[in-house]
Amino acid sequence: MKKLALILVLLCWGFLAFAAADFPRLGDPNSPASTHLSPYFIEKAYEDTATPNIVTAVLADYRSYDTMFETTVVFAAGVACFLLLRFYHFSEPPSHLYRHKPSGTVIQVPRGYRLKGEHTELEPIDRDWAPKDPIVEVASRILIPFIQIFALYVVVHGHHSPGGGFQGGVILGASLVLLAISRDLRTAQATLGESKNSILSALGVLIYVGVGAVTLALGSNFLDYAALAGLMGVDQVIARNLGILFVEVGVAVAVMATMFLIYRNVASAGALDEGL
Amino acid sequence: MIWQTIMTVLTVALILGGLLFFTGGTVGILRFPDFYTRQHAAGKLETLGLMMVALALALANLHHFTIPEILTSVKILLILFFIFLASPTATHAIVDAGLRAGMQHWRKPHRKER
Repeated sequence: MKKLALILVLLCWGFLAFAAADFPRLGDPNSPASTHLSPYFIEKAYEDTATPNIVTAVLADYRSYDTMFETTVVFAAGVACFLLLRFYHFSEPPSHLYRHKPSGTVIQVPRGYRLKGEHTELEPIDRDWAPKDPIVEVASRILIPFIQIFALYVVVHGHHSPGGGFQGGVILGASLVLLAISRDLRTAQATLGESKNSILSALGVLIYVGVGAVTLALGSNFLDYAALAGLMGVDQVIARNLGILFVEVGVAVAVMATMFLIYRNVASAGALDEGL
Repeated sequence: MIWQTIMTVLTVALILGGLLFFTGGTVGILRFPDFYTRQHAAGKLETLGLMMVALALALANLHHFTIPEILTSVKILLILFFIFLASPTATHAIVDAGLRAGMQHWRKPHRKER
C-alpha cells in the first residue's frame, strides 16, 4: 500500500514537473501575465476604482471571486475546529470551585449543593485554575483598546496603505485572544459569547456574498460594484471604491470571529471553560 | 544649521547606544546558563535598545518641523510606548509561567563536582 502511494505521489510530481516546464520563467517580462494583465492593473486601477493601493484594488475588485472563497475557507477552518473539538459536559463534576474576588479565597461546593442567591463577588473557576496576575491584566487592559483602534484603522486604510480586511481582522482577533490569555476564557466569553461569535463568523461571509447578491439583483455581474452607483447616488468609480470597503469589512468580521472561534476551541480543548 | 548638527549627533549617539544594548542582549542570550537569566538579558536590554533606536529614528525624521514629519515622529513615539509596555510584560509573563511550571534555576556548580 505504501509503495502504491509512493508511486502515485511520484507520478503526480512527474506530471507537475512536466507541466511546470512550459510555464514562463518567474518574472519573465514577455509572459502573458506581464504583457496583458499587469500593465492594465498598473495603468487603470486608479482610474477604475480610485484606490491608490493597487494590491487592494486587484484583491477586492478585479479578483473578488478569489477573495470571497478565501474568506469562505477561513470560515470553513473555524467550523471544522468547532465540529472536531467542541464537546458538552453532561455529567456534573464532583464539586464546583468559586473564587471570592476581593480576597482571593477559593470556596469548594460539593456536588448536589448550590449557592443561594446572587453572588457578584464570586466567580466560578476550574480545578486547574491559574492564580491571577495583576501585572499582565493591567498591561493588557491598557493595550487592548489601542490594538482595536489600530485594527479598525488598518481595515479602513487598506485603500491607501498596506492593510485591509484580513490584516485588520487578524489584529482584532488577536486583541480578543490577548484578553482571553491575560484574564481567562470566561472573561472573554462575557465579551463575545459563543453563539454571537459563531453568528459573526458567518455574518462576515454573508456581508461579502450579500454585496455580490445586491449587484446581481441590480442587473449587473456578481460582485461588479459599479452597479451600486445608482443605489448610493455616487458615480461608478466611487461606487467601486466603496464596494471594496464593504467587502473588506465583511472579511474583517469573518476573520476576527473565526480567529477567536479557533482559539477558544483549541485553548480549552473544546470545553470552553477557563482556557489555557 | 547648528540645529541640524545637534540633531545628527544626537541621532547617531542614540543609535550607537541602542546597538550597544542590542549587542549586550545578544551576548546574554547566547552565553547565560539558563532560562531565567536569558529572559533577563532579552527583556531588559532589548527593550532599552529598541527604545533608543526608535527615539533616534523619531529624531532623524525631523528635518523641517512640518506637520507630516511631526506626525510620523509621533507615530514612532507611539510604537516606542507600545514596546515600553508590552515587552517587559511579556518577559514577566514568560518567567512567571516558568516559575509556576516548576523550572529549576541555575546554580553555580561546586568545585568538587567539576
